[in-house]
Amino acid sequence: MVTKHSGEALDWVTLIYRVPREPSSPRIAIWRKLRALGVAQLGDGVVALPEDARTREHLEWVADQVIEAGGSALLLRAQTLARKDERALAHAMSRSRAEEYRDLTNRAAEVAQASPSLAEAARALKRLRKDLRTIQKRDYFPPAERDHAVAAINRLADIGAADPVSTQGGRT
Amino acid sequence: MKWATRAGIHIDRASSAWLIRRFIDPDAEFVFVTDPDDVPTDATPFDMRGVAYGHHGNDCTFETILRRHDLADPVLWRIAAIVHEADIEDDRYDAPEAPGLDVVLRGLSMTQDDDTVLALTGPVFDGLFDYYRRSLILGKDTPT
Repeated sequence: MVTKHSGEALDWVTLIYRVPREPSSPRIAIWRKLRALGVAQLGDGVVALPEDARTREHLEWVADQVIEAGGSALLLRAQTLARKDERALAHAMSRSRAEEYRDLTNRAAEVAQASPSLAEAARALKRLRKDLRTIQKRDYFPPAERDHAVAAINRLADIGAADPVSTQGGRT
Repeated sequence: MKWATRAGIHIDRASSAWLIRRFIDPDAEFVFVTDPDDVPTDATPFDMRGVAYGHHGNDCTFETILRRHDLADPVLWRIAAIVHEADIEDDRYDAPEAPGLDVVLRGLSMTQDDDTVLALTGPVFDGLFDYYRRSLILGKDTPT
């Protein structure tokens, strides 16, 4: 999560890269890694993340991966000149995450509505929590939808907790 | 021998330094640099971009060192799984310890200098090594 005082422009670690079209497997691996990191796509072959030790290191290794794949990569530290552009970037990233959180909320609600057995609820809960962690790792500007997803998943946890049978080890 | 890595160390560098000192070079001396150009000429760089002891393919630096030195001990590979997941987070291994160790290291690197982080994490990795050695004593649970 990014916390910075308002008025102070964020540093964005920005990767400008080009990977050969063929072979396609390293190109796809790089694309998958960038997607998993939740980068802002600034243009063709230009991605950025708000800078911290973790995001910088991840993009440094991606840059190396690009070079190993026979491409070219340049890492820059960038700031938007206008605050409005920074907000637009953050909002776009936040909207992408919001969509993922909404999907989780719906999945949790569907499970809850199907009156699942304890074991089913436990299995679904485990999967949903794992997916929640995955999304949170690439969530730099948490939208309200995150809290809704967390609440929906916790309600699912309550199903098991409220049932006396669960104390006999039904949950994992 | 002298070894150099990037300042502001995190789990891959802390664990690799421990691995180097304990299994490769007991007299290892570590220097921390902010720019790759500042690596002393007599030092071996690790966990930096474009060096032999770095990330290669899907491996993090800890795994690269294990491979290059033919360290096949399953206990070390169990620790490698944790380091890999804390560092690369790609779900290649099932290592539930990783997120916990990750935040411990991130917190330490916010409050301590690199030498102190190494001094503090050495015993942590010693402890993990002994802990997993016990659980692997029957040869089960070898990570793949």
